[in-house]
Amino acid sequence: MTSEELIAQIQSSDPDIRTKAWLSAGDVGSPALRSLAQLAVEGELEVGRAAKRAIWQIVRTSGALKFTDDRRRSVIKELVALLDNGQPVELRREVLWMLSEIGSDPGEIKAIAALLGHPDLREDARCALERIPGGKEKSAVSAGN
Amino acid sequence: MSNQTRKLPRRKFLKTAGATFAAATCGFPHVIPSGVLAAPGRKGANDRIYVAHIGVGGRGRGLWRELENLRKTGDAASIALCDVDQRSLARSEQDKIVQGTEIYRDYRAVLDRKDIDAVVIGTPDHWHAVQFVHAAEAGKHIYCEKPACCTIEEGKAMVAAARKAGIASQIGSQGRSQPEAYLMHRYIASGILGKVQHVECFHYPSPVDTSGTRDSDPPPELDWDKWLGPLRWRPYNAQYCPGKFRWFLESGGGQIRDRGAHVMSCAMWWLGADGTGPVEIEATGTPPNQGIWDSAVLMHVQYTFKSPDWIMTWTQKPQDQLPTAEERKPEELNDEITKITRPGYGAIYHGEQGTCMHWGGDGGTWAERKVRQWKPASNTTEVYKSPGHFEDWFAGIRTGKKTIMNVEAGVGVAFLCVLGNLSYMLGRRIQWDPVKKEIIGDEHARRLMGRPQRHPYQL
Repeated sequence: MTSEELIAQIQSSDPDIRTKAWLSAGDVGSPALRSLAQLAVEGELEVGRAAKRAIWQIVRTSGALKFTDDRRRSVIKELVALLDNGQPVELRREVLWMLSEIGSDPGEIKAIAALLGHPDLREDARCALERIPGGKEKSAVSAGN
Repeated sequence: MSNQTRKLPRRKFLKTAGATFAAATCGFPHVIPSGVLAAPGRKGANDRIYVAHIGVGGRGRGLWRELENLRKTGDAASIALCDVDQRSLARSEQDKIVQGTEIYRDYRAVLDRKDIDAVVIGTPDHWHAVQFVHAAEAGKHIYCEKPACCTIEEGKAMVAAARKAGIASQIGSQGRSQPEAYLMHRYIASGILGKVQHVECFHYPSPVDTSGTRDSDPPPELDWDKWLGPLRWRPYNAQYCPGKFRWFLESGGGQIRDRGAHVMSCAMWWLGADGTGPVEIEATGTPPNQGIWDSAVLMHVQYTFKSPDWIMTWTQKPQDQLPTAEERKPEELNDEITKITRPGYGAIYHGEQGTCMHWGGDGGTWAERKVRQWKPASNTTEVYKSPGHFEDWFAGIRTGKKTIMNVEAGVGVAFLCVLGNLSYMLGRRIQWDPVKKEIIGDEHARRLMGRPQRHPYQL
């Protein structure tokens, strides 16, 4: 399945087609992440839910790969980009928890730590850092702030 | 700064945040804790045990009722109720359930009362571990609804806290204490089946949320932040509560954790497998095709045990593929055992020399006819017959004996449920070290053995 086909099927009005699509998203990987993120935020209720599940499927499929695997690194890179201020808080919160599962590099730890001062995201950022090897020290200063 | 130092101690939290201590309903005096009158740290045989109920909606309310026998005999007195939903507390008052008790919105205020010997935790699953550990730290004996925990790390913390405090614990897999569970246990332990090679657990599917319910403001009676507790924050949605948390992987975990904590609990008890665990877990499943719930609708999990070698499977299958429930004749019914009211789940035990079967496995447990009619030989090894799940717990409080579903056993069963869901979520097989109780290899899966908890609702 291509990224375009995945995005099209996620928007189907048929719940079974949407479900089959998000279950296949892991093989599509990082190229679909930005479009899926947009659908997760702006799509109709069930389309948004399917898009969010597709992103999780990509994250969890990449989690089986080695830290250094390019496919995993490219997923992480796209997720870090979604932490940008221009994205809605709800999406960024979800992305922080995704990164908590597969993040591993000082670069993403730094990107997450930058949110420790954000009024709505600091606790999620702290939790994400707590889970990532090497991130715990960064999170220790912010509990409950 | 260490991880430890950033956590706000519970007592400090109480002072700073102010315990939400609602008005007493009936002016019941604080009492002398029963332990004061008995041997140090132990209740005397005739001492009343003073109990607080944390969570009184849904199942928590059921637990309050199930303690009634012990209240009637004077063995127990329920002197505090706590819930984060005013509607649950109000319902309790309407039923006059709370006569003679005090009402709280924050369980930490309950734990600070020195006159409370024991707590009954009937909150949603994502709260169990935090409240259990805090209660153990406060020296309370604990009855905690099943499943014991939501993650591996939570379970380990519960066991460590209970051991350190030396309290009596009982996890609410009450199927072990049912009359016909005793008959199943006796039959299997006699060796009549030969070596049991496969325990085939079956259950009907988890539901699909077809409501199309959108996020909204929480009802004014509900403290949504406290309901979420250790879970990461998200907006309220009416499909979370009451009771619907069961269908979220983060909390209830679907049928495998809700009823798996019963059916697989019976298997571990009857086969003498408490304290052991599988070496490999492999799950497949069908997710819901819509809605906010995410637990598997259909599911198949295989647990492979070694030394001794056997497998357990957990299968959620369509209703029309479930085994037919045995019809009971009128002469087979009595006050304790009526018709099989929950035919949709149970397990088949496949041994080298035969099979046997039961339905239910929780508050209702029904053994098949040949098991019920079997007469043990005079030299058959007897098995423990529970006097009742609460009664067994009280015996543990009074005598220090190990309870039938102590926290070690309860956590062991919860781990089966957690690992099944983890394999399903990740779409891959998990290797497990049953001695160290940790996932082998798979760095991603190992990270998911724990889940960071939201401040200040932390272990």
